[in-house]
Amino acid sequence: MRIIILIKQVPATDKVKMDEETGTMKREEVESVINPLDLYAIEAGLQVRERIKEDIEIVVISMGPPKAKEAIKEAISMGCDKGYLLSDKTFAGADTWATSFTLSTFIKKLGEFSIIFTGERATDGETGQVGPSLSAQLDLPILTYVSKIKEIGKDYIIVEREIEEGTEVVFSSLPCVISVIKAISEPRLPTLAGKLRAREREIPIITLKDLGVSERDVGLLGSPTRVVKIFYPKLSREGIKIKEKNPERAVDIIIKFLEERGIL
Amino acid sequence: MFKKVEERIIDQLINICGENDVLTNDEDLERYSHDESSRFYAHLPEVVVRPESTQEVSKILKLANENLIPVTPRGAGSGLAGGAIPLYGGIVLSFEKMNQILEIDKVNLTATSEPGVVTNDLCRKVAEEELFYPGYPMSVETSFIGGNVATNAGGSKVIKYGNTGHHILGLEVVLPSGEIINIGGKRRKDSSGYNLLNLFIGSEGTLGVFTKIIVNLIPLPPYTVDLLVPFPTIESAIYTVPKIISESKVLPCAIEFVDRGSYHLSSIYSKERWEYQDRAEAFLIIQFDGNNKNQLEEAYIRAGEVSLKEKALEVFVAENPFASEKLWRIRRNYLEAIKAIDPYVILGDAVVPISLIPEMLRRIREIGERYKVEIYNVAHAGDGNIHSAPIKPKGLSPEEWYPIQEKILDEISIAAVELGGAVSGEHGIGFLKKKILHLSKNKQILIMKELKRAFDPNGIMNPGKIFNS
Repeated sequence: MRIIILIKQVPATDKVKMDEETGTMKREEVESVINPLDLYAIEAGLQVRERIKEDIEIVVISMGPPKAKEAIKEAISMGCDKGYLLSDKTFAGADTWATSFTLSTFIKKLGEFSIIFTGERATDGETGQVGPSLSAQLDLPILTYVSKIKEIGKDYIIVEREIEEGTEVVFSSLPCVISVIKAISEPRLPTLAGKLRAREREIPIITLKDLGVSERDVGLLGSPTRVVKIFYPKLSREGIKIKEKNPERAVDIIIKFLEERGIL
Repeated sequence: MFKKVEERIIDQLINICGENDVLTNDEDLERYSHDESSRFYAHLPEVVVRPESTQEVSKILKLANENLIPVTPRGAGSGLAGGAIPLYGGIVLSFEKMNQILEIDKVNLTATSEPGVVTNDLCRKVAEEELFYPGYPMSVETSFIGGNVATNAGGSKVIKYGNTGHHILGLEVVLPSGEIINIGGKRRKDSSGYNLLNLFIGSEGTLGVFTKIIVNLIPLPPYTVDLLVPFPTIESAIYTVPKIISESKVLPCAIEFVDRGSYHLSSIYSKERWEYQDRAEAFLIIQFDGNNKNQLEEAYIRAGEVSLKEKALEVFVAENPFASEKLWRIRRNYLEAIKAIDPYVILGDAVVPISLIPEMLRRIREIGERYKVEIYNVAHAGDGNIHSAPIKPKGLSPEEWYPIQEKILDEISIAAVELGGAVSGEHGIGFLKKKILHLSKNKQILIMKELKRAFDPNGIMNPGKIFNS
């Protein structure tokens, strides 16, 4: 059995500087880390292996610049077995469509697997689209917002997923794609032994040539999305400050204020 | 001896600070009546003033001095020794409105700050310039820089960077007479006469108050790595500390010790399950920082291997900010976690040479057994500073418990002094440890009293703190 975990390397801070001219992130200025929500996907994969007690290979796949190797090594230090980095100049500037196309092309080449785990979304792009798009391109079922794995068998899985009205219990055949949320389980810390193992491990780089697809289908060229404009949202708050010292009169003013706006 | 705050004094204070910054209602005064030590010792001031400038501070002190009114300076109120409690009523001089960072000097590597700046805000501001203020106390998220200087606060990074006092270059001080003096400055050296700077650092508001503080900055180390290491016994954890220091080849910036009880409480408080919480007796949290990623990697691998050789159960490595934050939450939440089960808790602050930490912990356990009281311990193991928390046994009322708690903490302090340590490592004496200060600094207290008389002849500055004048 094989489990695939998709991860992304993201800027370490939420205060990413945007280039307002080109509409892209200034990535080079900040330190990069593994997307924090992907840590839950890794934890989910490791827990499935511990639960089934079978020989399961856990493979981590990421797409990004060469330094995204660090994120894969972090995943290996937590307990994953091996990793591949999809990295090629032609992959740059990919939107969620081109990204999931590139990933799914590689996954098809990789061979059989049972589950693909992803995080809920990446903290930089915040789209949460790659998992579902990938499942469509692989023609597999997708279970999103999964908070618990209730049961897992040779060819089926039963999970709980969080929806607005509450919790939904879903049965799915395997293989499938699962995106997990934080409730799944607190990610473990890497161990020293894991770090040393990751240090030794070679991470193969997969390029456009390896995938055997056209340059036009990947990266910016393969992306139907165009960023037209990028701007910081402006928060505006309208309020009044009540200076009335008498509490009863102050309350009257608040009630009047709320009534006038149809809130009360 | 002291005079009451009369109506005419209030009027004059209003003239100085304005009506909004002179508080006299009981409900306003209450929150200035205690600090983070126990509310058991709270005492209401007669008036609270919140000056906004050095000139206002000067006028307030002059007025108080001429009218023999006691003045208790106050920072964030996060102290653990009762230093900010106005024992004699009078005026509480709160620095909450003097909260501006005045300058970050990137050439001289200094920052000039008013005393009411939250230390973490200062750290964050200088970090934007890739600079680092190393005098980093554990209470960094709440305490004010002024209070840090007044208590010579320590923290978890003392082993590498020293405590607050090591990073204060200059002070603007207002004396009880109202006179404003400048001590030190942006210069890095000064062998011109007595070192008054160090006299004011840690003086707990008994000599004068600070209105401007010039701190030392260093380039921000870009990389940090944290280790969490569970051990099967307290001894194995503590004996590993000096070996980590000598064999890592890079000085760790923090080595924190957390015992099983404290770790467990902290995990409950954080509503998280933590690694090895049911299987280990003691934990070390070790941090390395630096400019060279490879060197750090070698250092933490060596520290980890040394730990494993000394019977560590596992070595966890946190290299990203999320993992690191999780790990430090264990240590930072400790006080709040203990307060959640025992709001009456008072933390000990004994410090001993690091080689004697095992002996000190043995004595603390022996004291606990003798009183049949559970004592939780965390320690800045890298600098020998142990915070012991005797927990109130169920069934005892706070009134019954206080005298026992005091005796236990006194005995812990005595044990520390016997081992060549001191009664307070970083919280200060305030008034909670006044009684036992003479144990560690008997003859020096007489000199301290003489010095106080020279600066504060009327004894109005924070009376009843450090020693009885």
